[in-house]
Amino acid sequence: MKPWNTLFLLFSLLSGVIAAKPSADRFQKYQAISRSSPIDLDSAAFEELTTGPRDYYAAVILTAMDSRYGCLMCREFEAEWHLISRSWNKGSKPDGLKVVFGTVDFDQGKSVFQKYMLQTAPVLLMFPPTVGPFAKLEADPARFDFTGPMNADQLYSWISRHLPDGPKPPLVRPVNYMRIVSGITILLGTITLFTVIYPYVLPIIQNRNIWAAISLIAILLFTSGQMFNHIRKVPYVAGNGQGGVSYFAGGFQNQFGLETQIVAAIYAVLSFSTIALAIKVPRMEDAKGQQLAVLIWGGVLFGTYSMLLSVFKFKNGGYPFYLPPF
Amino acid sequence: MAKSSLDLLLKGSSGQNTRGLLRIVILLTIAAAAVASRLFSVIRFESIIHEFDPWFNFRATKYLVENGFYSFWDWFDDRTWHPLGRVTGGTLYPGLMVTSGVIYHILRFLTIPVDIRNVCVLLAPGFSGLTALAMYLLTCEMSTSPSAGLLAAAFMGITPGYISRSVAGSYDNEAIAIFLLVFTFYLWIKAVKNGSIMWGALAALFYGYMVSAWGGYVFITNLIPLHVFVLLCMGRYSSRTYIAYTTWYALGTLGSMQIPFVGFLPIRNSDHMAALGVFGLLQLVAFAEFVRGFLPGKQFQKLLTSMVLLTFGLGFAGLVLLTVSGVIAPWSGRFYSLWDTGYAKIHIPIIASVSEHQPTAWPAFFFDLNFLIWLFPAGVFLCFQKLKDEHVFVIIYAVLSSYFAGVMVRLMLTLTPVVCVAAALALSAVLDHFLVLSKPSPESQAKANAVDAKSYQGMKSPIVGIYSHFSKAFVSGSMTLYLLIFVAHCTWVTSNAYSSPSVVLASRAPDGSQMIIDDYREAYYWLRQNTPDNAKIMSWWDYGYQIGGMADRPTLVDNNTWNNTHIATVGKAMSSREEVSYPILRQHDVDYVLVVFGGLLGYSGDDLNKFLWMVRIAEGIWPDEVKERDFFTARGEYRVDEEATPTMKNSLMYKMSYYNYQSLFPSGQAVDRVRGVRLPAESPQLNTLEEAFTSENWIIRIFKVKDLDNLGREHSNAVAFDKGLKRKRASKERALAF
Repeated sequence: MKPWNTLFLLFSLLSGVIAAKPSADRFQKYQAISRSSPIDLDSAAFEELTTGPRDYYAAVILTAMDSRYGCLMCREFEAEWHLISRSWNKGSKPDGLKVVFGTVDFDQGKSVFQKYMLQTAPVLLMFPPTVGPFAKLEADPARFDFTGPMNADQLYSWISRHLPDGPKPPLVRPVNYMRIVSGITILLGTITLFTVIYPYVLPIIQNRNIWAAISLIAILLFTSGQMFNHIRKVPYVAGNGQGGVSYFAGGFQNQFGLETQIVAAIYAVLSFSTIALAIKVPRMEDAKGQQLAVLIWGGVLFGTYSMLLSVFKFKNGGYPFYLPPF
Repeated sequence: MAKSSLDLLLKGSSGQNTRGLLRIVILLTIAAAAVASRLFSVIRFESIIHEFDPWFNFRATKYLVENGFYSFWDWFDDRTWHPLGRVTGGTLYPGLMVTSGVIYHILRFLTIPVDIRNVCVLLAPGFSGLTALAMYLLTCEMSTSPSAGLLAAAFMGITPGYISRSVAGSYDNEAIAIFLLVFTFYLWIKAVKNGSIMWGALAALFYGYMVSAWGGYVFITNLIPLHVFVLLCMGRYSSRTYIAYTTWYALGTLGSMQIPFVGFLPIRNSDHMAALGVFGLLQLVAFAEFVRGFLPGKQFQKLLTSMVLLTFGLGFAGLVLLTVSGVIAPWSGRFYSLWDTGYAKIHIPIIASVSEHQPTAWPAFFFDLNFLIWLFPAGVFLCFQKLKDEHVFVIIYAVLSSYFAGVMVRLMLTLTPVVCVAAALALSAVLDHFLVLSKPSPESQAKANAVDAKSYQGMKSPIVGIYSHFSKAFVSGSMTLYLLIFVAHCTWVTSNAYSSPSVVLASRAPDGSQMIIDDYREAYYWLRQNTPDNAKIMSWWDYGYQIGGMADRPTLVDNNTWNNTHIATVGKAMSSREEVSYPILRQHDVDYVLVVFGGLLGYSGDDLNKFLWMVRIAEGIWPDEVKERDFFTARGEYRVDEEATPTMKNSLMYKMSYYNYQSLFPSGQAVDRVRGVRLPAESPQLNTLEEAFTSENWIIRIFKVKDLDNLGREHSNAVAFDKGLKRKRASKERALAF
């Protein structure tokens, strides 16, 4: 076993000498370029950074930033990646632990993507050092696939796990002074505005009808499954496979955005008819008019409820009840 | 003669008595209907405890009845969460068990020989009858209409939204908690209306009972302060509010702190801080009101108002500071996930994994409430018309709980009472006008004009009444039709959806006859009969309570889920290779492993369908050893057939589920009926476990963990050796035969 190791070391040393500058120099060089943000690498620079012996970790993210690729996650994560790099480079690290952060964009580094046979972006590759105190035997990079939207904390904890144990600089989100200042300004502005227009707004705030409208709309939205749309991020409508649009999702546990709005509207019509029957109709003094109003509202109530039942029957196939028209 | 006797009955003081009697008869009938409609499962199956959590409650109740109250209070249970154990007495809500224990002892005292199991099974229906009565009282406070209360009681009695948690056998905390919720609200409304210390103290008493019964008490803890806060903002401070709230808060908080599980939470947890804050604010406002009487100028009054606001602001900032510095615990995860809906999925997968914590799609609302769901907004609108203190309460309750019910299916339960109140208000408002036989006359119009001169808004014009009989018949007829559909709907839903004990399954044989699938009990009784008394059973946490209750064997994890790491350990053992799992099993003294497999029967709630949650929870603790990605194919599919990933195929769960399954089918024809795929021809090979028991329909499979090999070999080697030996011997015999 031992001879092989030495041989390997010798070989790697040799190849390192032939291939590139000593790793310490390379680290200095990239450190100088980077100035604490991740380095933009092209294929050649990537090769130089990651092949041959090195005494540093290289964390390289492979992304596709150009809008042509439509990689939303890549662009969203860009700022977070900078944050990780900056936190690391500015923070205090244990002696001898060196990490280089880099970014390879698809436009500059197609060959890198081919080399690792990557179909998706972004992907993080983490190359361990091959020489030095933290050297690892296998030089294969650890790979992190993004499965969904990430924030810096999650990725940073993953990176930290691949680094040797010990204290590491914490992730520092820079204080956004702009935001604080603008927040205070807006707050003060709101208070001022409020005091100025208070006499005019007061009747609106105290208006019972406005509060009634707000409450009823909220209730209608919630009871028609709006929160489900919000949490599950359901599509607004979907095609029915024959070129048309299907308004109602099949199945009891599914729904579309438009579907919930239709249902909310049905509920609203039903409630309004009930209110009309309970409050408006008994106050009508004209006997004929009242008769007509009862017929209209009662009819609307009946028809709409029948529709609601038929919609529900569509959602739940085994449902046995219905009302005549639908 | 007949007419005059009828008159005698319906008019004057005897008329009142008759109405009162009728009312009582109706209420009793409603209560009886509420109880009766919950008995489907007892009639269809038997008097059996349902589902998962009730089995723990039942076990705890038995312990209480056998060992008495004090040892129940100090109960340390070493037969769950092996090897950690659980301080059960201090980590449960004892209200349910104590209630049924008391009922049991009273019945025994009356020399009625009753089994504790039957008390437990029938507790929920019994309390639902009481809930209907409480609902009647609550709604009568909201409306002067004689019919509103009765309608609300009837709705509450049979609406599926409440039945879903209170059928016979569903012996869970909600069984009594909803009654306590409604009754506490009734007492609170009474207290606010009368400004009486007695009603406030009663509200606090029942609030304390509620705290002892259900974690959902936090809802009351926040709703009542919010009610008071809104009243203050509306400028409706009164000494009635002050008396009611301070009485309730002081006594209620003291009462709630008597429960060991709650302890000092009411003063140390953000969930309860709203109540404390409003208590402080109320004192300030009361003081200001008091001083205001002695102050002459407008300037002073302004100064006073700003002083109150400033003090409140300072107090609020102090609370925030205390929270940030950690003296007051932040919002508890379960509660917090109601506001930040993405929170649980990222941070507490164990909460997100429970199906009743999913958001509610609209069909579920209609399914549980039928036509009440569209009467509900109308009723809330009617509350805005009157808008007394108690109507403000209904409005706040309605908006908040419909939000909660939208976020979590389970909280449909808290929405149901307010829907019943509001719907009853709306329906009674309609029926009160349309069910009057006499026609409006000119005099009554004139009188109405005089009376209603001071009313406002939509009520500007006076109520006249309905003229034609046809209108009355049409509207009351159609409403009756809707009510009939409602009753039919409730019966249908209860009978079809909510009456399955889920311990015993029912299905239809091809010829239409009913087939009872009793695999769970078969397997649990096998464990009870065939394993040593302290054999440790490992299973996914869903089945922990049932194993404890029915098989009476120690388990590693159960539905209490208090220790996420321990659950993740089980998840890791299930989702890793045998070589990784076996040491974990040995370290935890596991003797048997139990898995639920629905592939043969097409039972979709099996462990392979829950498997991803095990993986996710394990990944949360060991992100390097268990990776969710490895269980998906390169194309991102979750597959169990030939193309399943190697990690999937080597996981203990996969192997246990499909072990020997192929032998049921002609070779190469094995089909998984849940996932609808054809399985690999070869059965997976198990080295460290051996099959101990498989139930009739293969739903439960139990495997025995092998002891260490006698010769110190690896299990895989030993198994290979055994196989090789057999083959050798076989060939030898053949050679001899030749």
